[in-house]
Amino acid sequence: MKKTLIATLLLGMFASPAFAGETIKIALTGPFSGGSAPMGTSMRDGAKLAITEINAAGGISVGAKKKKIEIIERDDEGKNERGALIGQELASMGDLSGVIGSVNTGVVLAGDKHLQEKGITKIITPAAGSASMTQWSKAGAKDLSIFRFAAHDGIQSSMVVEEAINQKFTKVAILHDATNYGASGHDDLVDQIKKQGNKLEIVATEKFNIGDKDMTAQLLSAKAKGAQAILIWGIGPEMAAVSNGMAKLGMKMPLIGGWTLSMSNYIDNAGKNGNGTLMPQTFIEEAITPKAKSFIEGYHKTYNVTRIPSPVSAAQGYDAVYIFAAAVKQAQSDDTHKIKTALEDLREPVKGVIGTWKHPFSKWDPANEQTHEAFRRTDAVMGKIQDGHVVFANEADRQRLIKNASK
Amino acid sequence: MNLDIIAQMAVSGALMGLVYALIAYGFQLTFATSKSINFGQGELVMLSAFFSLTLLDLGVPYWLMVPGGLMFGAAMGLVVERACVRLSLEQKSEGWILLTIIFGLLGFSAAENIWGRDDRPFPSPISADAMDFFGISITGLEISVAIGVFLVMGVIELFKRRTLMGKAFEAVSADRDAAELMGISATHTIMLSYGLSGMVAAMAGILISPITTVGPTMASALILKAFSVAVVAGLDSGFGVVVIGICLGALESLTSFYLGSGWREAPGLILLILALAVRPNGVFGKASIRKV
Amino acid sequence: MLKRILLLRGTEIIALMLLASIPLTVNNSYVLGLLTLLTIYGILLIGLDVTVGYLGQVNLAQAAFLGLGAYAAALSVTVLGFGMMGALGVSMLIGLVLGGLLAFPALRLEGPQFALATLSFSALATTVLNEWDGLTGGAQGLSLNRPDFFGHAYDAPGFYWLCLIMLALVWMAMRNLLASQWGRAFEALRDSPIATDAMGVGTFRHKVAGFALGSSLGGLAGGLYAFNFQYLQPQSFTYDLMVILLLGVVLGGRKSLWGAFFGASLIVLLPNLLSNRLLFEIISAAGLLLAVAAGSRGWMKKTTRPFQALAPVVAMGLLVVGGFMVENTENWRKAIFALMLFSVVVGLPDGIMGFAARYLTRLFRIAPSTLPSASNLDDVLPLKQSDNGVLLELKDLKRYFGGVKAVDGICMTVRKGHVHGLIGPNGSGKSTAVNVISGLYAPTAGEVLLLGIALPTGSLFKVARAGVSRTFQNLQLFGELSALDNVMLAMKGAYRVPLPLVLLGLSKAEGHRAQADALALLELVGLKDQARVHAKDLTYGSQRFLEIARALARKPELLILDEPAAGLAHPDVSVLVSIIKTIRQRGITMILIEHHMDVVSELCDVVTVIDSGQVIAQGTADEVKRDPKVIKAYLGAAADEADATPVPA
Repeated sequence: MKKTLIATLLLGMFASPAFAGETIKIALTGPFSGGSAPMGTSMRDGAKLAITEINAAGGISVGAKKKKIEIIERDDEGKNERGALIGQELASMGDLSGVIGSVNTGVVLAGDKHLQEKGITKIITPAAGSASMTQWSKAGAKDLSIFRFAAHDGIQSSMVVEEAINQKFTKVAILHDATNYGASGHDDLVDQIKKQGNKLEIVATEKFNIGDKDMTAQLLSAKAKGAQAILIWGIGPEMAAVSNGMAKLGMKMPLIGGWTLSMSNYIDNAGKNGNGTLMPQTFIEEAITPKAKSFIEGYHKTYNVTRIPSPVSAAQGYDAVYIFAAAVKQAQSDDTHKIKTALEDLREPVKGVIGTWKHPFSKWDPANEQTHEAFRRTDAVMGKIQDGHVVFANEADRQRLIKNASK
Repeated sequence: MNLDIIAQMAVSGALMGLVYALIAYGFQLTFATSKSINFGQGELVMLSAFFSLTLLDLGVPYWLMVPGGLMFGAAMGLVVERACVRLSLEQKSEGWILLTIIFGLLGFSAAENIWGRDDRPFPSPISADAMDFFGISITGLEISVAIGVFLVMGVIELFKRRTLMGKAFEAVSADRDAAELMGISATHTIMLSYGLSGMVAAMAGILISPITTVGPTMASALILKAFSVAVVAGLDSGFGVVVIGICLGALESLTSFYLGSGWREAPGLILLILALAVRPNGVFGKASIRKV
Repeated sequence: MLKRILLLRGTEIIALMLLASIPLTVNNSYVLGLLTLLTIYGILLIGLDVTVGYLGQVNLAQAAFLGLGAYAAALSVTVLGFGMMGALGVSMLIGLVLGGLLAFPALRLEGPQFALATLSFSALATTVLNEWDGLTGGAQGLSLNRPDFFGHAYDAPGFYWLCLIMLALVWMAMRNLLASQWGRAFEALRDSPIATDAMGVGTFRHKVAGFALGSSLGGLAGGLYAFNFQYLQPQSFTYDLMVILLLGVVLGGRKSLWGAFFGASLIVLLPNLLSNRLLFEIISAAGLLLAVAAGSRGWMKKTTRPFQALAPVVAMGLLVVGGFMVENTENWRKAIFALMLFSVVVGLPDGIMGFAARYLTRLFRIAPSTLPSASNLDDVLPLKQSDNGVLLELKDLKRYFGGVKAVDGICMTVRKGHVHGLIGPNGSGKSTAVNVISGLYAPTAGEVLLLGIALPTGSLFKVARAGVSRTFQNLQLFGELSALDNVMLAMKGAYRVPLPLVLLGLSKAEGHRAQADALALLELVGLKDQARVHAKDLTYGSQRFLEIARALARKPELLILDEPAAGLAHPDVSVLVSIIKTIRQRGITMILIEHHMDVVSELCDVVTVIDSGQVIAQGTADEVKRDPKVIKAYLGAAADEADATPVPA
């Protein structure tokens, strides 16, 4: 029985239509189920939107003819083990042009080494903690096929700390979830506070678990120690529980945290208690530019929603596909190694919804991870929650982006 | 240490504890009649909450939604009994443990696909604003949870004591064989207990959803605590769950405050293993004599 | 016999060869990754099967042991600088020790309580791994490099072969263990812990050993897991994984190495099976066909209940219909798994491999292994010379249950070689007295002396070891074991090979000897021809005789027969009488509790009559029958008593 199964499986794998050369194969991976699914699915849907547009226009010109993009979808469930297996599967495909996706740092750590081994180009988006890139600089990789297209934690935490300092706070509490994401967010915050001159005193550090609904103890501890603001790192519903708990305990201090605070599962569940919460954003669901307008409308129409579950993820997924497509065009090849080389030196600017990407990546330098990071501090803005929507916290940012786009 | 803070934490913890107690009470109902419990009870809470939310979305008024949700819970309880429990009880096997776990898996996956993977808010007419009692903040929602828990348990306990059907329930719990000899159908009584248990689960879902939000994973953290409460209190001890539930809830809050929030669950779990080792039938449970 | 060995071992070797040769023919890191995971999960599930299958307890801690083992191995490499083998040793040891520690409190529990205790343990283990971030790296996870093997680095196929060798070793060791006395003991204590103790086998240590062993395999699998993924995070080892593991064992088939392996393949391959639409449709259609075939056959032959026949068909039907309606089957993976499992648990309680094994056994006509010829009864139960001395003495024995004085100061002397009758009306305290002697209850006061030495109290196991053996009024057989295994299990002094050698398969000789001895005892009670029959499938009378044979395997100084004739048909009663006579001829002392007065009269040298927990008369059967106090005690039934009409209890 077992042998037949394996035989069928092997057969199935080899018999899968491999029209090499006919299409450009891109794998979309990420958590499409489980706790971080809103990010994974928004990214996937944003990316699919871009791919549909590209295919509708006939595909990408490679050599003499135009090739369409074929999608390979893999759900890693946010589980490291699945991440490793998917990494192995993708690495052994042979005719894969590239991979776009990932949310969970653990999954990236478990899976990407298989891709790097075979030199398969991957753009990490919409998220994944710092370790996803630092692992390569630490290992001293001479050459790297992994790129990151996300506002890395360094940018985010520096903005969060900056915001707290600008608002003249001196005592803050850090709350974070007990996962890899929360723990590395905490470390980055501590790091940034030091870097920005130790102007903030951390009076309390508290954790919460995924699924926790009662945050009274954590909040009271922060309150008792005189925190003036709460810096938070987590994903979705638990942070809503924090906001609701703060309202209950009459704690009128601001909540500042990572970009995940802009996800619908925070906004909806915190309701009016979420008003005023601040977080860095790479994209705000507001049609300030024509490109953003068509993207937002396209997303709403295609997926029949009135609001994108995670606008940041969707926009990053969308732009990542266009950047990848530009690299294919420049390389004039669907060979993943050539695409990698092209990505490291993109000559033409790519117009995306987040902004216009000019030379986003450069040749990998193990001493400087920034070479494979697309986002800079100026690509991110501070967002604020207002009556169930994310808006620009500073009007200046909004004007700047409009101006940039019209240039 | 500020006494206010300790009091606040104890009260908040205790209120969560009451929810554990209510779910644990659902375990007791079925354990009493059939010596079985539904390991998918958490999913039952979650499914009922989603169903109630759908009713609200369809425009059903809140107070009509409540009986609707309860009926759904009872119906699901009966499904569990028929599909997962009855056969193994007839075969005197412990297959029900696996089958109810499987039911939970199915329910979870169905909810994920039907209602989505995201947490959603659950509207409630009761105010979520905090009120101040001697320096302790309590929200209207929390008070409604406490009232709801006692109401449901009180009504069911009254039903068991005052009605003929309830007495049959007690008889089967006390001695199944003897009750059958007296013409009481154990099968029907077990069905009744699963229906009631489903209803209790639905009530728990409706009560806590406005506080915790509704999502496929909403009950997975709760259910482990409810297990602990039921086992530490004893699976046959009625109101013992309330005492243990309140204690566990308060203990969790205090541990979280003093030891660090990561260790929040630890004392409860250690307590559970110890309680089981010292008093396998629970703190309030009756010891049984081995017979041959 | 040869055919059996050829087929069974042949399949194993062919499977091993096939698995080992895949990396040589297929150069695909993904296939290799799947296979490696398959071997790791194979080891894990074999370990889980010890508790779930053999001990019959729902164990929810195996995922935690996987995690603990993984972290132990990783830390011994990163912190202590151990090599691969050393680290794997550490991870096994961690599983063994923690498993043993958890087993002590947890194994006093049964059913749901046990499941909950293990569930709490896993939650606790994840909490500790997550919170002890100084050591484990906490939620950030722990990265490690696969250590070298004596200076030689493993590539992917090399590591896969290592895992495969481990699986093969575990497989052989478990096969040896489960075929030995240990395996019988595991199964016995699932069916009747009381009888396991009463046969001197020891419930507790076998349970603890079984659990610790299963956990150590979990630890070993964890070590391999760590070296396979080279990155660990606490949240990989939670309830979610545990449920899948548990269901894998059940789906594959409990109490079967092949079942565990099959379950592991399913877990590993399931996501791939579902992502291929065609394959999914084939599987679901095949499942439906199987459910319909098995269901209608069961329905026709009336071997299954209607629900058992119908429910799997409904579930698989749902799967097929759902398969057409749902756009993305991968989203519904858990539901699909649940439906398949539901069908298997309800329709094929032995799991897929259990079902397949039965079918294949018939297809290839694999006969069970042949039995040795029975030993000489004189070697098994040597004739005892009775010197009419005192064997057992009860001194003012008391046992109260709250206010009820069930035994209230009994004094009694049993002489060597006698059949000592113990009679009295219902509720007079006979059974309680016997339960106190045999150690089920501790006495409230008083003493029990065997050959002048105080018997241990309150422990069936210790009393059994001291030379007292018993049968039970309500049968306590090991239903899932064969008649032969029931007797073999209790065989005193037959098993001396220590555990490590058992694992190496060096206990076969003593197993054969025990088998031959057990056959001799089955012959004594007339069950030699039914040695292979499961105890639960024997007739009621045969079950009673089997209990006697099993008790005799203890080679007891004193044999207690608790109402052996209860419920027996008349012809069986005469068989019983002749069996007891044979036993007496061998010089074994017996206490016989019985209501059938003619049996008592025919067999007993001395009779003690008890009423209200006290001795009211003692003497030969005829003497006590005439005793006015006895007549008074039995009053109401006195008219019948005069004719000594047997009154079945």
